[in-house]
Amino acid sequence: MKVLLPEILEMLWEVWEQNPGAEVYTGGTDLLVKLREGVTWPPALICLERINALRQIWEEEDTVVIGAGTPHTALIRHPLIQVEFPVLVEALKVLGSPPIRNMGTLGGNIATASPAGDSLPALYVLNAEIVLTDAKGSRTLPIHEFITGPGQTGLGPREIITGIRLKKTAPYTVSRYEKVGKRKAMAIAVASLATCLRLSPDGRIESARLAWGSAGPAIVTSPEIETAMSGQPLTPELLRGLIPAVEREVSPIDDIRATAVYRRKVAANLFLRLSGISEGGASA
Amino acid sequence: MKRDALPNQPRPLQIGEPIPRADAPAKVAGREHYAVDYYAEDMLWAGVKRADIPHAVFRGINSEEAEKVPGVLAILTAKDIKGSNRQGVARKDQPVLVDDRIRHRGDGVALVIAETREALREAIGKITVEAEPLPGVFDMEEALKEDAPWIHEDHPGSNILLKGHITKGDGATAFETCTHVVKATFELPYQEHAYLETEAGWAITEEDETVSITVSTQTPFRDKMEVAGALGLPMDKVRIIAPYCGGAFGGKDGITVQSLLALAALRFSGRPIKMWWEREESFIASAKRHQARCRYRLGADATGRFIALEAEILYDTGAYDHLGGAVMALGLEHAGGPYRIPHTDLKAWAVYTNNPVGGAFRAFGVAQATAAMEQMVDRIAEKVGRSPLEIRRLNAVRRGDTTPIGVTLTTSTGIGRCLEIAERHPFWRKRESWKAKAGPFRKRGVGVAAVMHGMGYGPVIPDTANAKIELTSEGSFRVACGVVDMGQGNAHTFLQMAGDILSQDLSRLELVLPDTAWTLPSGSASASRTTYTYGNALIDAANLLKERILKRCADLWMVTDPKELALVPGRVRHLPSGRETTLAEVAAFMDETERTTVAHYRAPQSPQLPDLEPNLRLHGIPHVVFSYGVHIAGIEVDLLTGAVTVEHYLAVNDCGNILNPQLFEQQVQGGIAQGLGYALMEEIPVTEGEMKTVNFSTYLLPTFLDVPDMEVIDAGGNEPTGPYGLKGIGEIPTSGPLPAVANALFDACGIRLERFPMTPERVLSALEGNRP
Ligand SMILES: Cc1cc2nc3c(=O)[nH]c(=O)nc-3n(C[C@H](O)[C@H](O)[C@H](O)COP(=O)(O)OP(=O)(O)OC[C@H]3O[C@@H](n4cnc5c(N)ncnc54)[C@H](O)[C@@H]3O)c2cc1C
Repeated sequence: MKVLLPEILEMLWEVWEQNPGAEVYTGGTDLLVKLREGVTWPPALICLERINALRQIWEEEDTVVIGAGTPHTALIRHPLIQVEFPVLVEALKVLGSPPIRNMGTLGGNIATASPAGDSLPALYVLNAEIVLTDAKGSRTLPIHEFITGPGQTGLGPREIITGIRLKKTAPYTVSRYEKVGKRKAMAIAVASLATCLRLSPDGRIESARLAWGSAGPAIVTSPEIETAMSGQPLTPELLRGLIPAVEREVSPIDDIRATAVYRRKVAANLFLRLSGISEGGASA
Repeated sequence: MKRDALPNQPRPLQIGEPIPRADAPAKVAGREHYAVDYYAEDMLWAGVKRADIPHAVFRGINSEEAEKVPGVLAILTAKDIKGSNRQGVARKDQPVLVDDRIRHRGDGVALVIAETREALREAIGKITVEAEPLPGVFDMEEALKEDAPWIHEDHPGSNILLKGHITKGDGATAFETCTHVVKATFELPYQEHAYLETEAGWAITEEDETVSITVSTQTPFRDKMEVAGALGLPMDKVRIIAPYCGGAFGGKDGITVQSLLALAALRFSGRPIKMWWEREESFIASAKRHQARCRYRLGADATGRFIALEAEILYDTGAYDHLGGAVMALGLEHAGGPYRIPHTDLKAWAVYTNNPVGGAFRAFGVAQATAAMEQMVDRIAEKVGRSPLEIRRLNAVRRGDTTPIGVTLTTSTGIGRCLEIAERHPFWRKRESWKAKAGPFRKRGVGVAAVMHGMGYGPVIPDTANAKIELTSEGSFRVACGVVDMGQGNAHTFLQMAGDILSQDLSRLELVLPDTAWTLPSGSASASRTTYTYGNALIDAANLLKERILKRCADLWMVTDPKELALVPGRVRHLPSGRETTLAEVAAFMDETERTTVAHYRAPQSPQLPDLEPNLRLHGIPHVVFSYGVHIAGIEVDLLTGAVTVEHYLAVNDCGNILNPQLFEQQVQGGIAQGLGYALMEEIPVTEGEMKTVNFSTYLLPTFLDVPDMEVIDAGGNEPTGPYGLKGIGEIPTSGPLPAVANALFDACGIRLERFPMTPERVLSALEGNRP
């Protein structure tokens, strides 16, 4: 199988034109698994790893733009990302293992669009926007519109993700990503929850953003629960009272890793754990 | 004076020193050549078409399409096999290629030989199987029923491969006299060996018609016999070469690719042929740790002294024996653990089903029995109101006591000492304060397990080794080692023994790995006997050679007493005068035959239980030498997810004298890690004989983050029959973690599971009060 290695975007469009059936990849950590399983076997592969423009991180006024080809390790270590988006850093820290984080990229995780993708709940609570580019130009979609189902996205033909835009403005005081897998590393999430809360000095929730992973065909968010939380003091009673709502919102599946019953229960329990979020174990 | 600081000072290897293993640098740097690493220009590929039907009458294959694939050279079936077409250690019931009946999905029905691996894969994919499906048997209890389909028609009686029943004292009637009685059932999962190097090797038929097979195996000499028998070849026309094995754990104790490779090599004489199972094929076709069902009842008096034990253990041996009978027998022998129990009634069965094949796996049937027994001991301790270590101390065997099957212990018996050390350990003494520090939504617990493991082949099969050592013309020593090192480090230990006796440093010691043409038969790398048996032979061979060298030098130098001479690195020294000569010079004065010594060793065999059923004795009961240990696990349970984190782990071991503390620690830690996988996550769900997890994306092994720091303590034992006082260490650590963690789970949350491993989902469900 031919592997093409364009170094600038212009070259990418050119080689893609010449190899119409080619598939793109960046770190290859998802693609190689699919190739081995024979799920896909394109005539050629185009590797995006060497396109420098896809590996930059920069600021545009109140927005940070992350190049889609940035490996997870680079994001975890980036001071700007650490300060502005701790929930994303926490999520990426538990993705795979060190070698997977060195190779795997944010763009790849988004394009794979697995409900278990670890960056996704964090990107949902951060209201990420996905920048999509083809030979003709770019467009931007909110992440929840870009991802349309398990493994399904709004990616056009011969279009790639070039960037992820995150607004810096979100003044959250505490955030957390918790993932439940079947072991402590190299485990696909059986359930996960990304949370960002703005708490007033007296412990009241001024605003809340929540997103569950592996809890349905796509990442699960709930304006209903977020609204119900706002203005309330963060107490175990408040959270317990909302458990039925969580259990209603999620629609997990049975598979070889876990039953739907377990996923639903844990999705609710992770929510319950938020009662301790302002004390320990949370990055602010 | 800092002697170690002197550069380039050759330092003889010495027993007891934590010397880094000699095989490590090449392995770490990727220079070591395993069987799987062979490639050549004119090499062919061989591969197997698997039945993927659990039970059927085999009619043949349709290979028309496959033959058309470019690069396919031959497609062979059972019809091309001249010999018995049967393999197996105890019962030869497994075909190289199916000829009459398909008995599990992993059965091989055709052997394809192709120019490339791609052509091989394509052709295998195009073969179809012609068979008449038969009703399958997928549950052990079902298999035992009168009207169950019969899996091996030629096996007398039923689907019971082998059963054992041993009673001691008054048997189960003694429960009437017990104050406390506990009862429970345990379902233990399959475990995959999961070696890095899947089954692999290459073969070539030489000009003299010898088939040379280089293979990842634990059993080169037995392989030679099995291949010759199955394919109808003269014994002297089969040669097995066994490089370092990339992991085995029992999974390569028996034939994997050997006969298939030989069959292919016979067809294409002179061309090297390689076979390398992919991970999925390895899962489907290889043996696993037997899934097992254990029913236990344990009774004690008011003070907690054990009175009676009843156990029934069912081992699912799947489609073939594959040492399943021996696994069952060892489990039966260890069913009651290291305890004094006057009255026992112990039963075990190895049952044929159409499930994946159960076979040898580190801790060989004992892991399952220990998992059950140690949780029973904890239940009794709780009822009686004594601490888990106290109850074990009260009941632990001492030398001179009889084991639960009635064998008098005549060799070193260190369980008592292990328990005392554990009881004094700070982690045990301060456990309550450690437990109190669990965070919100979390609970902590500490659990104990005592373990015991017999060494060697038992009372009938001779457990022997033959060592050979040579003084080379260059003046170094070549140790010809006929027993495999599958990664556990015994090869290094052999060098350390030879180096100690001959006073040589590593640069003057060479190792010849097993090759049936050069090294001598020394049995399998298995049964916790590898270092014990071969080491004893090697000590004799090395001492003989040393004596011969010193005597020859004494003659040369006209010294009356050879005791005035000593070996030093590379030289012989006359101690009174300081006069020296190099070993190369000494070698020049010796004839080639004189420069080599050989020695034979046979491990002690038990004369006890003469009335035991002969077939059980043949399958290995009873043993003479046992290792012991005590494991303590400190765990934290997440009450919101059911996840169990092992925070602390401690293992105190009586494995005799320790020859190399580094290797000892590696063996114990590796065993614990594998045991923690068994405890917490490893399992293969099987429906209708089909495995639901066939690679590492769904079959989970513990990662570094799942395994805590493990403290390994040597209880300071000494076994006089062992080489330098050692006993086996390879298997025993694997049995402890499951029961230690299970007991810790009860200590933390008051729940006990019936089905293992203790996955977060099972734990959470039990925490919610569901039936385990
Ligand atoms: C052992 C292992 C463990 C893993 N563990 C986790 C885990 O814990 N959590 C988790 O979320 N994931 C995990 N993954 C999955 C994977 O590592 C991540 O999804 C990773 O972020 C993918 O990035 P990549 O660059 O390697 O993707 P690639 O494999 O390069 O690409 C994946 C898909 O995305 C497409 N793609 C890639 N880049 C772009 C782009 N810029 N624009 C458009 N399409 C693109 C490709 O066409 C392909 O279809 C694991 C994978 C492995 C092999």
